[in-house]
Amino acid sequence: MITTGSKYFYGVTALATIAMVLYMLFVNPNDIGTVALGSLASAAALLGGLTSFTRDSTAHTAKEAVATAEQPAPAAVWPLIVAVGIVMLVFGLATNPIVFVLGIVALVAGGVEWLVQDYASRASADSTFNSQLRGRLLHPLEFPVAAAVIVGIIAISFSRIMLNISKSAGAIVFIIVSSLILIVGFLVALKPNMRGRAVGALCSVGAVALIGAGIVTGISGERAELVEAAEEDHYSHMECGAEADKYFDKHPNNAVSLKSATLATITVRDGKAVATLSGLDTPVETVTIPRSNNVQVLFRNMDAEEHRLVAELGEKPVADTGVKEKVEQCTQLTGEDQVNVLTLNIPKSSEAAGPYKFIVPGLEGQAIEVYVP
Amino acid sequence: MAIIERPSTELEVSNTPSVVAPSTTLGNLRRPVQSTGWKSWLFTVDHKKIGIMYGVFAMIFFIIGGVEALLIRLQLAAPDGKVLSADLYNQMFTMHATTMVFLFAMPMAAAFANYFLPLQIGARDVAFPRMNALGLWFLVVGGLVLNAAWFLGGAADGGWFMYAPNSGPVFSPSNGVDFWTLGLQIAGLGSLIGSINLIVTVLNMRAPGMTMMKLPVFTWMILVVQFLLVFSLPVITVALVLLMFQRSFGATFFDVAQGADPLLWQHLFWIFGHPEVYVLILPAFGIISEVLPTFSRKPLFGYPFVVFSGGAIGFVGFGVWAHHMFAAGLGPVSVAVFSVATMAIAIPTGVKIFNWTLTMWGGKIWFTTAMKFAIGLVVLFTIGGLSGVTHSVAPSDTQQTDTYYIVAHFHYVLFGGMVFGLFSGFYYWWPKMFGKMLNERLGSWNFWLMFIGMNMTFGPMHILGLQGQPRRMYVWTEARAGEGFFNLGFWNLISSIGSFVLALGVLFFLINVVQTARKGKQAPFDPWDARTLEWITTSPPKEHNFDRIPTVHHLDEFFHRKYVEDEATHTMKAIATGEEIVRNEEANAESHIHLPSASYWPLVLAIGVGVLGLGVLYGVPIMVLGAAIVLLSSFGWVMEPSVAEDSDYDPPAGGTSKELASHG
Amino acid sequence: MSRHAMSARNARRVRALAITTLVGASMFLAGCAKDAPQDVFQPKGENAADINNLQYMVFGIAGVVGVIMTVLFVVTMTKFRDKGQPIPEQSHGKPALEITLTIIPALILSVVGVFTFRGVFDLAETKDTELVINVTGQQWWWEYDYPVQGDWGIDKPIITSGQLVMPAGTKVLIRETSRDVIHSYWIPALNGKRDAVPGRIHTLRLHADNPGIYAGQCTEFCGLSHANMRMEAVALSNEDFATWVKNQQAAYKAPQKDSLAEQGEAVFLNQCVRCHQVNGLKKPDGTAAIAAPDENVYAGAAPNLSKFMSRNTFAGAVWDLLKKECRGNVWDAKSEEFGAKYLEGVSADCLNEVDLRRWLRNAPAMKPMYADPTKLEPTDGKYRGMPYLALSESDIDKLVAYLLTLK
Repeated sequence: MITTGSKYFYGVTALATIAMVLYMLFVNPNDIGTVALGSLASAAALLGGLTSFTRDSTAHTAKEAVATAEQPAPAAVWPLIVAVGIVMLVFGLATNPIVFVLGIVALVAGGVEWLVQDYASRASADSTFNSQLRGRLLHPLEFPVAAAVIVGIIAISFSRIMLNISKSAGAIVFIIVSSLILIVGFLVALKPNMRGRAVGALCSVGAVALIGAGIVTGISGERAELVEAAEEDHYSHMECGAEADKYFDKHPNNAVSLKSATLATITVRDGKAVATLSGLDTPVETVTIPRSNNVQVLFRNMDAEEHRLVAELGEKPVADTGVKEKVEQCTQLTGEDQVNVLTLNIPKSSEAAGPYKFIVPGLEGQAIEVYVP
Repeated sequence: MAIIERPSTELEVSNTPSVVAPSTTLGNLRRPVQSTGWKSWLFTVDHKKIGIMYGVFAMIFFIIGGVEALLIRLQLAAPDGKVLSADLYNQMFTMHATTMVFLFAMPMAAAFANYFLPLQIGARDVAFPRMNALGLWFLVVGGLVLNAAWFLGGAADGGWFMYAPNSGPVFSPSNGVDFWTLGLQIAGLGSLIGSINLIVTVLNMRAPGMTMMKLPVFTWMILVVQFLLVFSLPVITVALVLLMFQRSFGATFFDVAQGADPLLWQHLFWIFGHPEVYVLILPAFGIISEVLPTFSRKPLFGYPFVVFSGGAIGFVGFGVWAHHMFAAGLGPVSVAVFSVATMAIAIPTGVKIFNWTLTMWGGKIWFTTAMKFAIGLVVLFTIGGLSGVTHSVAPSDTQQTDTYYIVAHFHYVLFGGMVFGLFSGFYYWWPKMFGKMLNERLGSWNFWLMFIGMNMTFGPMHILGLQGQPRRMYVWTEARAGEGFFNLGFWNLISSIGSFVLALGVLFFLINVVQTARKGKQAPFDPWDARTLEWITTSPPKEHNFDRIPTVHHLDEFFHRKYVEDEATHTMKAIATGEEIVRNEEANAESHIHLPSASYWPLVLAIGVGVLGLGVLYGVPIMVLGAAIVLLSSFGWVMEPSVAEDSDYDPPAGGTSKELASHG
Repeated sequence: MSRHAMSARNARRVRALAITTLVGASMFLAGCAKDAPQDVFQPKGENAADINNLQYMVFGIAGVVGVIMTVLFVVTMTKFRDKGQPIPEQSHGKPALEITLTIIPALILSVVGVFTFRGVFDLAETKDTELVINVTGQQWWWEYDYPVQGDWGIDKPIITSGQLVMPAGTKVLIRETSRDVIHSYWIPALNGKRDAVPGRIHTLRLHADNPGIYAGQCTEFCGLSHANMRMEAVALSNEDFATWVKNQQAAYKAPQKDSLAEQGEAVFLNQCVRCHQVNGLKKPDGTAAIAAPDENVYAGAAPNLSKFMSRNTFAGAVWDLLKKECRGNVWDAKSEEFGAKYLEGVSADCLNEVDLRRWLRNAPAMKPMYADPTKLEPTDGKYRGMPYLALSESDIDKLVAYLLTLK
């Protein structure tokens, strides 16, 4: 198990570990020297383990060594990739971090592939067996990584396209492309004798189109409305007045689900706002809300006109300016026979920071007092 | 394999360069095909070994959960107890319940199901052997994650029901609840995998002639349980995912200030939680449905009724969850409907009790330990079931819920029901699994101590609850304990003493196990003159179970091969013994037997999922590592053939190897 | 030992056990605590009585069924034990018998179901409510606020905690909610329990036949001190309740000048007013002293201490304000005399100084709470429960004197 080659690596591990310990004790446990020596020890241990595991990649008997030596080395692209990787790595240090990262990826991937291919090619004289061996080692790595990468490329390209074109254009593109894939797939399935090359060509065309479009639209950027919405934070604009707000009231909630056992329901009927408390039938003029309690108040509009419910919850000083601003919470505009909900939490009592009330903008004199004891 | 290898320095000169066959230079890439030693257990896909491992782990967790219970009872033996602090007590009762339900009861049922379901249907293994192993390792990893919390900042402390918003990051700031959600998600995945496996096995791998209505009742109950799991586990997984996202990634699913309703958690939990209790009890029902007929020497009374009532329980069990929420403010309509539905589900359960009793009626009862435990189940479950019926009356339940009366009810049905059923299974099936008979005298001590201890511990809890002691309190006080000698203090003390008697009973079982392993009596193939297919095997069964897959002509096929009924006198005449039948099968053994080979991947994948889970708590790089392990091992698994290549064996198979030869 | 003899011996053992069990069970049923304060079988109001009737019905049925099944088991096990008889006839079942045995329980349960259905809706009735009280649970105490209800003399909202004072013989509706986690309000003598869920309002009827004090407990696990979250319902006759209401709404009485209590008022303004409100208390500059628990407590409220000594438990109703000698006078008083005794409140010679001082000295040591100032990060630096205030003994003396004036 401890082969000749691995002896070297284990030796390096042992020495590096001793050196690291001495360094920590006598110099400085917290600086780069410790890290460097520790990394050297770990790397050497890993390499030592690999060497033991593969038994120095040596054949068991001299007879086999003779046999494998007769094999010419197969053509390989991996040395080229490793070289490219090194160059990109160095290049990227000077220019773009992305290039640097890609260089590292190429280096590692190429290095691993090269290593395994070489090991496999010297395992025996039978090249079929060798390629099977290589496959057995690397396919569990190659397939999932390749799959992840391909899925990632498709997803990203497609999403760039969808984010760039307008919503209606996006729907049309989606329908067309998916139908195309379905039809082509259908035709290919109907013709089992179709040459692999033809299918491969079709897929390549599709891939090039997708990736190309993805790059173009990715550079062009998201469509204007999305950019604007993110920058200006549209959906948090709340105009608690009677008129509709351009963004807050877009697609208002039409119904409220899973809201039972609410504190009170405020119903607008025939221009009047009436409050009823849960558990009691008769309407009340004052709604009592315990302080600092998260409570839900339902708002139901039975009138044809759209209304919203506004909770006026006193004033709060704006930070550092001493100016006081009104604290308001409101629902979206609620249509006829629709329900909305307000979740309130009033930390200070009415005496301290009140008075509080519910109003329905547009209906005069329909204020409902809120009392926080 | 020498530690230090030196390459040979000989040079053989050969005239003709020959093509050399590939040699075994693959290092550790061989599959772990050893049939003895620790590797044969760690990487096995054999349902019998997996079943035994499920059982061992379940037993370990039973003892851990039991110690937690003993600590609870020590704390509550006297008023204002000082054994556990409030924080530690809350962790203790949370972990006791979680451990007992998810890490003991479900895996122990899985142990029996894994071992005996394939044997009872005449199969050689389950449909997906590697998935079977994966389910086991998911349980182990999940259990480790769950209990790791004890050492990493405190275990979960929100109760096993973990109601929101108390479970949120504000009110349960320690990491315990995070470990809880992760551990349960992993263990739950294991059960889900197992359930799909067993459903496919029962539907597709029955022996020739075994129709569904000739399945043994144990197999039927397990099948119903797997369907319950398939439909209920996803619900709790959803709930756990929502909670995990709230705690670890800032979501607001249960944040009331953002408009959430805490009852969402309760509904999600109990839609899983109620079918879960049937998941726990039905396997025990199945076990005693085998034990009672065997030791009464009569078939199960009303087989179709028992089977259909099991199915009915499973089905209606999805419609009664809100009886755990009668006081939760659902409103009178929901409460009334669920109350009536809960009464309805008492009926199929009652049917079973009648059927078991009528099985014994007119029989020839042999009081072995297994039979005692089975009868114990019938008696204790009746008590627990009747107290359950008193809960179904919703207004009455608003007085009883969250008091010790409920604790009494579910311990009677779970301990007196499920645990007694499992112990019955131990004594009944031990000879078959291990080839040795458990000692009957020790078994008697085991049974009586457990029976007396159980009643001493949980009987008084009925009184405690009805006289006003709520649950989940780390102390109780004299002020609320009432006057007189038999006040709440007295019954609390009796209950605590009883718990130690119970523990002593369990200890006797462990002693019995050790004793039997060392010098137990050799077991014949058919020690109990039993009725079902699993007994047509050696004790323990060979790796391939049956030398020849039996053809089934009757319900209780084995019994019908041993006895025929004399038409005139209606008496049973023995025509063969169990021994003879097994030897006959050996003589007619099939020549080509294919078995799947062991594999590393289930264990590696399970570890990967564990790492992934821990990454949720400890940082994205660990999550990435875990995801990488999961991804790679999934692909490794998929690309691995189910049977190992010949070159993996040492020496290579097909020669004079002692390993099981694999053909084709 | 032959299977035969072993079965016979076991059958004898079974019989012995059955007899022991029956004897034990009867002892069991007789062995209940007398006057357990939270006994569910001693209803003291009409809602609890309705539940009790249902309970007796279903427990009775369960008991009868239990006895029948026990007899059946014992007979089966003794009569059919292995006495050497041949293998019995392999009967597979009698469908007629089984169907009968299915129908009988179904019929019994239908009857129970009908009564249950009616009971559920009766108990959920809120239309005939006579008085409404809002109940808010918080870790680990209960707050009550009485909304304005002129019929009862409540012209200004009243806030109390711990003891829910209500008129006897009245259909009271409590509307429960919570500020933080789920709690549950349970006064067994008056009704079943109802969970107090944050963000929701649940209603529960309380009705007490006679004046008296009825014990209760939080019954939904709510964290560290769930065991230390108790309450009582105090029922008073209508006149006594009117007196109580008037007293709660009475103006604040500042302590006598230059008394220890006045110094206590200063300490209170210094330390306690951060969280605890006393209505009418004024700061030295004459402005009202308004407590700001929303700045110091995570759930945003602390018990209101106006008229503190008009109730006789504190700290989540876990400790008595009355000394042991005086407690019996109030708690065990007969219904007719109870109201007057309760309205006396707590006086200096009856005050349980030991526990009150311990609480003021170091509250977290008495009741586990999240009050460690170094561990408040999950709650944005706010407390859950009362912190350790490091008060000096003389400050405690002053505070006790001051608190005694809050009546």
